[in-house]
Order: sequence, then structure tokens, then C-alpha cells
Amino acid sequence: MIGGGTGGFKRKSKVASDIPDSSLADMAFLLLIFFMVSTTFPKERPIKLDFPEAEATKKLDTKRKDILHIYLEKDGRIFINDKLTPVEQVAAVVQPIYYETQQRLVTILKGDREVPYQYVNAIQEELSRAGAVRVTFYTNLAQRVRRERR
Amino acid sequence: MALMKKKSRVSGAIPTSSMADIAFLLLVFFLVTTVFEEAKGLPIVLPEKSDGEVAVAQKNVLHLVIRPDGIVEVKRGESPSVQQVRPNEIGAIWRIEVQKNDKLIAAVKTHPLAPYKHMIAVLDQLQGAGAERISLQLLEE
Repeated sequence: MIGGGTGGFKRKSKVASDIPDSSLADMAFLLLIFFMVSTTFPKERPIKLDFPEAEATKKLDTKRKDILHIYLEKDGRIFINDKLTPVEQVAAVVQPIYYETQQRLVTILKGDREVPYQYVNAIQEELSRAGAVRVTFYTNLAQRVRRERR
Repeated sequence: MALMKKKSRVSGAIPTSSMADIAFLLLVFFLVTTVFEEAKGLPIVLPEKSDGEVAVAQKNVLHLVIRPDGIVEVKRGESPSVQQVRPNEIGAIWRIEVQKNDKLIAAVKTHPLAPYKHMIAVLDQLQGAGAERISLQLLEE
């Protein structure tokens, strides 16, 4: 009886008390791969843009694949998909994308706050020529409270 | 004898304990550097090119002319008088005018050399005041 008891004790002592950490690396790599895939590094964009602020800024619930970003710099240069595009070619570039998205395309115009309005107007005309009439002017949310304090 | 014993204890497996550290290091790097492109702003629907000109009675139009210095000239329909206001007063004006006439259209005419931010300020005020019928145009001199 005593011998049997000691055998039981021996078996119990073999159970490891460590927290299993072999799957830790797997989880980390899974997260790592997710971020590697979803990261988009901004490619060569020559000048940093300052966007206008608006209190009525809304978040869009459009799918990412139905969104096209158009960048407009202070000097009137237009970048579509990181490519410098002359204003008269905007319609020709946007139209195929518009039909690819089953006419669900929403164009986000990211213009510098100081750009003269004539350049913005020229893009609007090109977009309506291409039929891509749903446009959003990219703005940062303005804080009403902060503005009143000033 | 003691030396022999020590040698035999060396494990032949590749150490994997630092693998998680490396993975987390990379993970933190990507977490910090990731910037998701946000979809936000002031949405508007442009008129289609095929629509052509749509005749609107002057009495239903609130003309807002944005000058290069950011001052907005407000002209109500057929009235010849012009009121000069700052962009942050447009919302209040719209609310008053739309109560008098619920068919009102805001015609925003921006000077070609006026900075984009002034047009956004006016559009922000109009959308904040609940305006839906907004027409954006370039001011022709």
C-alpha cells in the first residue's frame, strides 16, 4: 500500500508547471503577416498636404475597393494612384475605374487647403465628364470647442 | 568524468525561445508604422454632364460668392442687395432663409484664385445646417 502511494506521487511530479509558450510565436507571426499584408507605405509623394478642416466631416461607409483617391497639390499638380496626371486626362483615367466598380465609385478628392479653387473645379468637371459624380472632399474633423477657445 | 557528463547534456535542438521575441519585434514595428487610409470628408454629388442646364427660378436661389480673401458675398434671389459675411455665419443665414423658402438652392460660386479652404468652410456650414441642394460653380468674371 505504501509502495503504491509513492508511485502515484512520482507520476504527479512529472506534470510540467510551465505555461505552454510554443504557440506564442505562431500567434505573433499571424498578427505580423496581417499587418504586413494590410500596410500600405505611402509611395513617393513629393509635398506634404495640409487638408482643410470641417465640422460636418462624415465617415464614409463605402467599401475600400470602391474608393479612388485623387491628390491635388498646392501648385495644381494632380496625383491619381501615385501617378502624376495632367488635368485633361483625369476623365480618361477615372472612367475605366468607374466601370470596374460597377458604377459604385466614390472619389475622394484630397486637396491642399491653399490650392486655388480653379484647379478643384477643373477636376470636378473632369469627374462629371467621366460620370463619376459621387465625390467627397477630404477634410479633417474640426473641433468646435477648440475653435471657440481661440 | 565530470566533463564527459556535461557534454552529453547539450541538446541538439535549435533554440526556438527567441522566435517569439523576434516576431513581436516585427509585429510592433508594423503596428506603429501602419497608417490606414481613412475615408472621410464632405460628400457631394456632382451634376452629370448630360443633364445640361436646369432652369431655376431666381427667387429659389441663395447666391454665395466666395472672394479670394475668404469674405462671402450673399445675394438673395432677385434682391440686388449684397451682404458681406464671414464663412462661419453662412450656416445661420441658411437656416433663416430656408425657413422662409423650403425650395431654396445654395449656389456657391468661388473665385478661381480663392483658396480651396474657403469653399470647404462654406460647404461645411451649409452641410452642418442641413442643406442638401448645393450647387458648386466657378465664378465667371
